[in-house]
Amino acid sequence: MTTSEQSVGESRAEAAADPRQTGRQLRPGLWHTINERYPGSMITKDDAVPLARLNKPLAEARVVMVSSCGVHLRTQRPMDVTHPLGYFGFRRVPSSARHDDLIIHQLKFPHDDADLDINVSFPVERLQEMVEAGELGSLSESFYSFIGYNMDPEKFEAEVATPIADAIGREAHADLALLVPA
Amino acid sequence: MGLIQRQVEARGIPTVSITVARDVTERTKVPRAVFAPWPMGHHFGAPFHREIQLRVLREAFDLVQSAERSGEIRDLPIKWATVRRESKHLSAQGRQL
Repeated sequence: MTTSEQSVGESRAEAAADPRQTGRQLRPGLWHTINERYPGSMITKDDAVPLARLNKPLAEARVVMVSSCGVHLRTQRPMDVTHPLGYFGFRRVPSSARHDDLIIHQLKFPHDDADLDINVSFPVERLQEMVEAGELGSLSESFYSFIGYNMDPEKFEAEVATPIADAIGREAHADLALLVPA
Repeated sequence: MGLIQRQVEARGIPTVSITVARDVTERTKVPRAVFAPWPMGHHFGAPFHREIQLRVLREAFDLVQSAERSGEIRDLPIKWATVRRESKHLSAQGRQL
């Protein structure tokens, strides 16, 4: 066997390996897959954003969380999960909420496990515990939630991304932001 | 989500995200991310597995403190098969855990 044949064989073996056992991305090429299904829906950026620095210890830092899993209080109006272009709004979710207060309305990702334990997608109770344990300083009063199914990136930026970033800058008084897609 | 992360960082607040789609995160050039090789909707692992949920959070907060360059992605060295194996007995015991 030549070296090139050997490397082809190895790469085939690698491709055939169960990704649950390899630690590689479970669904490789997701960007291309989604962009083929929904042309123009996926973004690419060429420039890096300069890093902001955390200017205090974690134990004094106030943390805000943003999630695209579609979680909200059971008492809040659900987001529209049926519009073909997606839903361009967001909800504020109290950072004091517990699993039983919350519900996920979303069709585009499996949330059966998060329905059992919201912390699988939206680790609000773990963050509360980290504050209680003194690992984190505090949590912003509200966290922010939207549906990560938006097929119009420009409309999304104008009506969801910028308003959430503005709200965080204006009202969250956060030292650090945790962003969790679904 | 990448657009929001970039905007928040640009407002002077340090950010970190969790991703299960490394290729999407690379293309979005978010400031910092932790990659977990796990399924969609399972960014913090499995139900009732508090240790793994906390591990992901601690890795993310550590990255905020230690990242030297924008765009750094930290790979979490925990296979999905391991998460499932460790969490099997937890689900059955319910939320009291």
